[in-house]
Amino acid sequence: MAEVLARLSSRAIALGLGTLLLVAACSSGGGGGGGGGASTTDVTVWTAWGGAELKAFRDVLAPFTQKTGIKVHVTTNRDSTNQIANGIAAGTDLPDIAPGPTDPVQVKDWVSKGALKPLETVLGASFQSYVSNTYPALTTAPGGASDDPYIGIIGGKHYEMMVKTQVKGLIWYNKKVFTGTAPKSFDDLLAINPKQYNAQSLFCAGFESGAASGWPASDQIDNIIMRQSGDQVYTNWIQGKVKFSSPEIKLGYETFLKEVSDQNVFGGRNTALSTNFGKAGDPLFKSPAGCLFLEQATFITAFFQQDFPSLNLKAGTDFDFFAHPSVNSQFDGNVNGFYDNFAMYNDTPAARQLMQYMSTADAQQIWANDGGTLGAIKSLNYTDPVFKRAADIAGSAKNLLVTAGDFMPNDMQKAFWQSLLNVTRDPGSLNAQLAHLDQVQAASYKSA
Amino acid sequence: MSAEVTTRRESAVSRGVTWVDNLGYRLQRLPLHIVIIIICAVWIIPTVGMVINSFRSIGDMNSAGWWTTLFPPHGFTLASYQQVLAIEEVPTSILYSILITIPATVIQLTIATMGAYAFAWMRFPGRNLFFIVIVGLMVVPIQMTLIPVLQIFKFLHVNGTILSVWLAHSGYGLPFEVFLLRNYLGGLPREIFESAEVDGAGHSVRFLRIAVPMTVPAIASLTIFVFLGIWNDLLVALAFLGVSAFRPFTVVITGLVTSQGGGWQYLTAAAVLQMALPLAVFIFLQRYFVRGITSGSVKG
Amino acid sequence: MDQIITAVVAVVGVPLVLLGYIILGERIIERLSDRIRAWIRPYFWALPAVGFATVFMVYPMLRTVVISFRNSGDSEWVGLANYIYFFTFPDTLTALRNSLLWLVFYTGFAVLLGLIIAILVDRVRYESLAKIAIFLPVPISAVAASIIWKFMFDYQPPGAPQTGTLNAVLGVFHHDPVPWLVDSTTNNPALIFVGIWTAVGFCMVIISASLKAISTEVLEAARIDGANEFQIVRLVVTPLLWPTITVVGTTMLINALKTFDIVYVMTNGAYDTDVIATRMFSQMQSAHYGRAAAVGVVLFIAIVPLLIVNIRRFQQQEEQR
Repeated sequence: MAEVLARLSSRAIALGLGTLLLVAACSSGGGGGGGGGASTTDVTVWTAWGGAELKAFRDVLAPFTQKTGIKVHVTTNRDSTNQIANGIAAGTDLPDIAPGPTDPVQVKDWVSKGALKPLETVLGASFQSYVSNTYPALTTAPGGASDDPYIGIIGGKHYEMMVKTQVKGLIWYNKKVFTGTAPKSFDDLLAINPKQYNAQSLFCAGFESGAASGWPASDQIDNIIMRQSGDQVYTNWIQGKVKFSSPEIKLGYETFLKEVSDQNVFGGRNTALSTNFGKAGDPLFKSPAGCLFLEQATFITAFFQQDFPSLNLKAGTDFDFFAHPSVNSQFDGNVNGFYDNFAMYNDTPAARQLMQYMSTADAQQIWANDGGTLGAIKSLNYTDPVFKRAADIAGSAKNLLVTAGDFMPNDMQKAFWQSLLNVTRDPGSLNAQLAHLDQVQAASYKSA
Repeated sequence: MSAEVTTRRESAVSRGVTWVDNLGYRLQRLPLHIVIIIICAVWIIPTVGMVINSFRSIGDMNSAGWWTTLFPPHGFTLASYQQVLAIEEVPTSILYSILITIPATVIQLTIATMGAYAFAWMRFPGRNLFFIVIVGLMVVPIQMTLIPVLQIFKFLHVNGTILSVWLAHSGYGLPFEVFLLRNYLGGLPREIFESAEVDGAGHSVRFLRIAVPMTVPAIASLTIFVFLGIWNDLLVALAFLGVSAFRPFTVVITGLVTSQGGGWQYLTAAAVLQMALPLAVFIFLQRYFVRGITSGSVKG
Repeated sequence: MDQIITAVVAVVGVPLVLLGYIILGERIIERLSDRIRAWIRPYFWALPAVGFATVFMVYPMLRTVVISFRNSGDSEWVGLANYIYFFTFPDTLTALRNSLLWLVFYTGFAVLLGLIIAILVDRVRYESLAKIAIFLPVPISAVAASIIWKFMFDYQPPGAPQTGTLNAVLGVFHHDPVPWLVDSTTNNPALIFVGIWTAVGFCMVIISASLKAISTEVLEAARIDGANEFQIVRLVVTPLLWPTITVVGTTMLINALKTFDIVYVMTNGAYDTDVIATRMFSQMQSAHYGRAAAVGVVLFIAIVPLLIVNIRRFQQQEEQR
């Protein structure tokens, strides 16, 4: 090899310099391929969706591409907020369409930098019908405020278009095991004796979720706090204006601890902490049943069905849910929802067309047909009885409230989720945990 | 493979030992084999578990350990693999991964070898300072560098091109490679270089005909890790190719899992597919890991 | 198709361009006067590597240093506030403790096992097969590794059939299952073990490459002198491997400080498993770039003494050769 190399000498120089030019020419010429820019035939979309969600999205896109000839390039990118933040800072290309940021400060910042485009201009004439068709809680700030960064409203303009929703805090059960009626209050729920229905324990729980471990527990406490101390406290708490050690939040933690006590959860607390949320509901369908109830969002039905292919579980006949029972009747009607949004980062004709299409009932009906999620539009038809009822809950909610952790600064969210794991493991550490959370809260919102 | 071992054994035999001595020799070596086999077993069990699980359904994985599949009823299924291969983009994404990985590997190893040679065999002011800075920067996470590098790429008009990831990977990989290769090149005996210099060989000849050939085992082992680092990368690909049409395999397989974490079981099959090529590269490069290459090239 | 051509051109072209650079450059340098030549030559050789490092590492690092003194919106100077935050926030203490555990145990075991395995397998016929077994975890991405270890650490209630390999083994000995990643006494060792599992292959391959460079004559001479195999390893092989062990050890120490993937995907620091890098990442995710940058600077400063040790090592090497 060495000899060959050495003999090449002068010829190599010529060849080498030649190829250098060639590389430069090729890379600058052939590199672009489907990027940003004001394309009329291509749209780049980043989404966090994968698997069945991604398939459903492609199903939604198919008629659009057929009709308009616009090609949509979809990339699953779970790091999109960071990537877009970098792109904005560096002034480089952004995707045409991607979810908006969750951090309120970031929403305002991106709007002020012109990175986010207002739906009022993007949707044009169809903006009004988008607002009137979509769940009001997702398009209208409470009390008509001009700023609500949680749903992308800044200065009275909308920057996030809602396309999908999930309802959280539903109590799932196996219809063959739990034959009673839905409890009226949270206390009634806790008072149910599982042995009466031949189940080992009252609840199933699974808080493990890799890097996001603890979020299933946070959903549970969110649903308690918003119904126990109300939406005002809940929202202020998300914004860092209510301390964790405040009586309301502490009460929430204590109520949560009653729910997930060693006696109440299947297999004891170590099982709840070690079990992935996706298979947490498995004991519902074992015989004898491991537990009576699992609290989880609408999307969990897909997990039930995939884990027991042989049982061929049918929504509404084999399993069902009841809505989260009332904690303090004063705050009935507060519902915890999760929604996916699209925000537009490049104002191109093709991207506008796609945004307009996604805001229509025609497009969103395809999600509803594929199952596993609710659309953001009120009037969709669901063949799945479970989703039909979930849609009713979302539609009749007085306040559709966001998931707390998702809208806290990341280090706050992480500390919040992990505090729930810690108190589940060691209920005695509650006060220490809350004091620590106060500290994180003071530090993480500060320089925002 | 290991020429050294065979010659050692042959010499033991040729010393005129009887079969009893031979047996004694084997027995004496028994603990060695046992230790090696135990370590290897511990090391492969987790991976074996995953490979077996890649042929199982999620229901089975959740309700029983992977080893239960070894006994009837096995319940093997190709569902995970079908799921991965059903993604239209998989073949092109593998091609893109290769198109990203191979040039990036070649570029950085070539540059690193040259740089390491300078650090090992030339004295110049600031040499140690440069070295400390370059190598010390290995500790800085890539995330911190993304914005400035994006700005530089924008200035060079290479954003979103495949060239940008080649350059980025080369930049991020170089410190480690220079560090490692400097050690190897620095360890080569001075006499060889001196005698070459006496023979009138310039630095280019010494580098190409002595330094590079003698460092082949090191370069070969480094190649694997460089290759792997790029092959498994997700961050750099998303940061520099996110809005382009190039989607390497790592990006495409994230689409297997739902945003709620459903479908993680398919990642077992994806992981098996993903590790196949680097493993093949490793097995191929093993031929360069044998004793004798360095001494051979000195004589030749 | 364009892309394939570009790639092929790059694979063939870049080495040729560099070859051209070397040969052409050396020809020019040869013609220069002695003094200029001696001065310019090293820079000529180091330029491509140093240039790349400057663009991708040095310049961003300088920017990081600047940001570490600014607030998260990058709008005003905040002095040492970000550093004070890092050193005084209680969570940092746990992260520092865990990073120290990683530094000691991950580095120690990975290098030691890598060395032992490299030496052992050098003596058997099935060396390449054994090496593949040890190397097997290396090409596995962190996400896949977390799935693999999910199957190892899985926990079911006591009495139920265990689905995790480790708890199934414990069950054979009638021991209660252990919640490996939840229990504070087992979770850090468990995570560190996963780290070691992926790292030993690297150490083994690099050390083995050096081992192969030790000439047969040296070993034969020692054998003829009557040294047994243990003595050969201790007195001949290990000293000759020291430079490589230093390099591999340094790399592992840096990796230990940077440890992120495994902790992030498996626990993200829950139950007191946080390390410095996961704390830093969380600050970055929260758009507290100043704080994240301060951590980066601290890490860089922490690594400098280590590199000075390495430089000394190289200088010794230069004197000896």
